[in-house]
Amino acid sequence: MKPAELKEKLKPAWPALDVHVHPLDCFGLTKVSSAREDANLLIESARRSGVEKMCLFSLHTTCPREPTVAECIEANDYTLTMRDLEPDVFLPFCYVNPMYPDESAAEIDRCVQGAKMVGIKLWVARRATDPGLDPILEKAVEYNVPVLQHAWIKTTGNLVGESFPADVADLAQRHPKAKIIMAHMNGCGLRGIEDVAHCPNLYLDTSGGDPDSGITETAVAALGPNRVVYGSDAPIRHFGVQLGKTLGTTLPDNVKRDILWNNTARLLPEWAGVDTI
Amino acid sequence: MIIDLNAFTGHWPSHPVTGDLNSVRASLHEYGVDRICVSPLEAAWCRNPHRFNEALYRTAGTFPDVYPVPVLDPTVATWKKELERATRELRVKLVRLLPAYSPYALEAADELLEALVAENLAVIIQTRLEDPRRQHQLAQVPDIPAAEIANTAERHPALTVIIGGARTGEIRGLKDRLLASPNLYADVSQCDGLDAIKVLVEEGLTEKLLFGSHAPLFIPYSALSRVVTDLADEDAAAILGDNAERIITW
Repeated sequence: MKPAELKEKLKPAWPALDVHVHPLDCFGLTKVSSAREDANLLIESARRSGVEKMCLFSLHTTCPREPTVAECIEANDYTLTMRDLEPDVFLPFCYVNPMYPDESAAEIDRCVQGAKMVGIKLWVARRATDPGLDPILEKAVEYNVPVLQHAWIKTTGNLVGESFPADVADLAQRHPKAKIIMAHMNGCGLRGIEDVAHCPNLYLDTSGGDPDSGITETAVAALGPNRVVYGSDAPIRHFGVQLGKTLGTTLPDNVKRDILWNNTARLLPEWAGVDTI
Repeated sequence: MIIDLNAFTGHWPSHPVTGDLNSVRASLHEYGVDRICVSPLEAAWCRNPHRFNEALYRTAGTFPDVYPVPVLDPTVATWKKELERATRELRVKLVRLLPAYSPYALEAADELLEALVAENLAVIIQTRLEDPRRQHQLAQVPDIPAAEIANTAERHPALTVIIGGARTGEIRGLKDRLLASPNLYADVSQCDGLDAIKVLVEEGLTEKLLFGSHAPLFIPYSALSRVVTDLADEDAAAILGDNAERIITW
């Protein structure tokens, strides 16, 4: 098969909505000098793989594990700048640190209520069992936006504040009205999928980790076809490599389409303007 | 022509895979892979990895597009006999070393590597089979640094040496050594990140990169996507097969 034929064969039959993307300002092999350049490089690469929209969150240019309130504000302003440059592509999430619950709630008011961000991002400052997350989740319910929570099970040891899947299940049970997306299906692995299967308000993103065979099929079998969503973790990962976790599986076409677009579209607030297909 | 220089067959104890050779072939044929170089996965965990080569020859022998890649271990006393056996298989074009799993330092393989030169065989030396963060708690295997494989290539300038399973950043970090060593190449089976291969091509490494899928552990769609999605057709063709066609004596 020639490369041109192969490109055609790999092209998704449906557009993809990526629920897990960072600016190049945070991660990646390429340094950028402006939000404009950042947006252009991400969009060009995404479109080559068939990704049309991206949920975007900055973890701040220096990626501190315990960011200050000011660093979160700076990160969110960068994300908003990219959204304003390409509003049809970027769906901004608000990054907050549960070490500062009150300030996080205020930042969610600013970014979600005020600037129309469409979700909330939590990383590794505190595990999901920490009560500091509760006011953040209450805001998420109030504004009806999803919360994307990082999780992994690392053989080499999780960071002190890094959530395990069971921690995220605990969060989902504490806040049954919240819509929680647990990041990193492959990082959570075959064990982590089982840890969260019983939480109907918990969704799993396919981002991060290697494109191991069989995991997405296992996740769909355990969680159902509507609780798995496509994410890449670009620019740490490659859009197309991560798309393979959906398109390169034995799942039926309607399930692939839902993972790539509809399941995330249903989680986003109305003002995101993302319809199901 | 698409040549997969880094595929496997068999079972992996910490993660279930559909690894029978028929299934691996079918999964790669779906994306047009014409030639498949396979090693037995079980060899990684056997105290004598040679034990799986004979079965590999038998199974691979039934498929004209499959090239067995035996695993050799220089710390097993009978490696010379095992190499001699490999040379009787017409479709053995390269052998694989898994130094992280035996384990041994690559210097221990120097005599074996010189013997490969005499037999006109190439070698693929694997940096990793599995992300250390995702390995079984009681079976943790650290990566072999790609730089150590570059050192090995420099000690054996007449041997074609392929770095197996290095990540994009590692390959990029070896740019100057890859360009300076005519016998050193890298497979791209574990490259990831935005424009993972494009950034290497832009560094001038097109001729040094070889397609590998890491199937059945990894999904073939992903392997092909990382190469063709971001590249001009001629660069993609070089990495997918033209380079392997040129450097291996088929």
